[in-house]
Amino acid sequence: MSITSLAVHGAIRRAAAGASRAHDELNAADGKLGDGDTGVMLQRLFQALAALDVEDGADLGATFQAYAKTCASATGSSLGTLVTVAMMTLAKATKGRSEIAWSDLGGHVAALRDQMMARGGANLGDKTVVDMIDAVALALDGASSGEEAASRSVAAARDTLAQFRNRPNRLGRARMFGEKTIGLDDPGMLAFVRLLDSVVAEPVGR
Amino acid sequence: MKKLMNAPDAFVNEMLDGLVAAHPTLVREDRIIRTRHAPVAGKVGIVSGGGSGHLPLFTGYVGSGLLDACAIGDVFAGPSVASCVSAIKAADGGKGVLRLYGNYGGDRMNFDLAGELLEMDGIATTTVLGTDDIASAGAQEAGKRRGVAGIVYAYKIAGAMAARGADLAEVTEVTQAAVDACRTIGVALSSCRIPGAAAPSFTIGDDEIEMGMGIHGEPGIWRDTLRPIDEIVDEMIARLLADPVPVPSARVSVLVNSLGATPLEELFIAYRRVAQRLKSEGYEIVRPLVGPYVTSMEMAGMSISLLHLDAEREALLAAPCDCPFWRVS
Repeated sequence: MSITSLAVHGAIRRAAAGASRAHDELNAADGKLGDGDTGVMLQRLFQALAALDVEDGADLGATFQAYAKTCASATGSSLGTLVTVAMMTLAKATKGRSEIAWSDLGGHVAALRDQMMARGGANLGDKTVVDMIDAVALALDGASSGEEAASRSVAAARDTLAQFRNRPNRLGRARMFGEKTIGLDDPGMLAFVRLLDSVVAEPVGR
Repeated sequence: MKKLMNAPDAFVNEMLDGLVAAHPTLVREDRIIRTRHAPVAGKVGIVSGGGSGHLPLFTGYVGSGLLDACAIGDVFAGPSVASCVSAIKAADGGKGVLRLYGNYGGDRMNFDLAGELLEMDGIATTTVLGTDDIASAGAQEAGKRRGVAGIVYAYKIAGAMAARGADLAEVTEVTQAAVDACRTIGVALSSCRIPGAAAPSFTIGDDEIEMGMGIHGEPGIWRDTLRPIDEIVDEMIARLLADPVPVPSARVSVLVNSLGATPLEELFIAYRRVAQRLKSEGYEIVRPLVGPYVTSMEMAGMSISLLHLDAEREALLAAPCDCPFWRVS
């Protein structure tokens, strides 16, 4: 079993449902460090992605390109633009392919981590969503099935959220709150965990 | 914090509709505002952008001798990549486009991505970031500072330089030098609320003031009980003058800016002290600005921006410009 456009779109739809469920929690988490709009932004963004038509067997590059284009129009927030960057990176990496193997997923996630770092200026350890993606990329290394990828990535994401909770944010607006960010979850990291939980709630690959 | 509006989701779009209805020199194309004549063939284009909630910033400075086009996002959220692309295209008269905006992570990513996408179309772009807020990072980390009210000086300098016929490299260099010569610090007395948000962006006591707070409620340097404005101004001026600029000058322009709710009366009480303090320190003030130039909706408070001048910068500041909120003739 491999990852196809239809499987990806199923994951996007589940992420959209997860964004709706986590709307209030994410807004509240962001309200402690930022504008309090992470929940509303992600809900709107993933609903726009979920509304796209994706056909079975479609070129993955074209599917991710369509997601990237939708993201680029739908949001200007920094977290949202990181989603755009991720979609653009995946579009380039999967152009001309109708499926990718689960064993290649870790490499793709590592590549989008690198692009997000280059674009957003985050370093590992800054307590951003990039730390989360780094942990998932490492956890996916050697995973060869959807079940394995799901269990490893969820465990890595939850561990990373807990590990970083007691560290200070070092980037963006949250950086300015300094030591006050110790004990708080980064809203982007928390959002990643909530969306990932929704994505793996059903067997991945459908 | 009651708001005169129809619905939170309609807030920005209806605001933009009203802006262009009141000012026919402006044209709206979805989430960009451009001048009626943009792009001007043979002139370097000046583009900015940012979140809504700060009028007159950003879209209010679209006009002759200032910005050619501006991308606008939701309240306190950056403009989308697609809007940045549209704004740059709208400003491109064939001599390239300067992207001039505040140093915020989302805005940076979006304008960078937009610039790369347009490279393939042959549009040359450069970037200057507003970094004038001295409370947002120390002098040794000046590149991390955020852009606040001082960016309107950069708009004026960039717009006047482009109107003179300077090329993209010259416009960029002179604008960067203006940003480097500008320092701002703000104080906040009360909060603001994003339309539809359940709570204000931050809380502050009725009797409190926060020194150095940013225009989205970013934490400042200290918070204490309110004190007489002369004491506040003295500290703000002392902090501004203590922050080194590359080429200090005894001739400066000053912007005393309302964050939204603070009335002109209080701004002029503050300006009176600003002028006294700067004079006593040996400075001569040129073309002072007093009023709401960069706001945060209903936030009460003010900022002071200081622009060190040289002969060229002073001439560019005096050059004609015309937009809904700033006219020099």
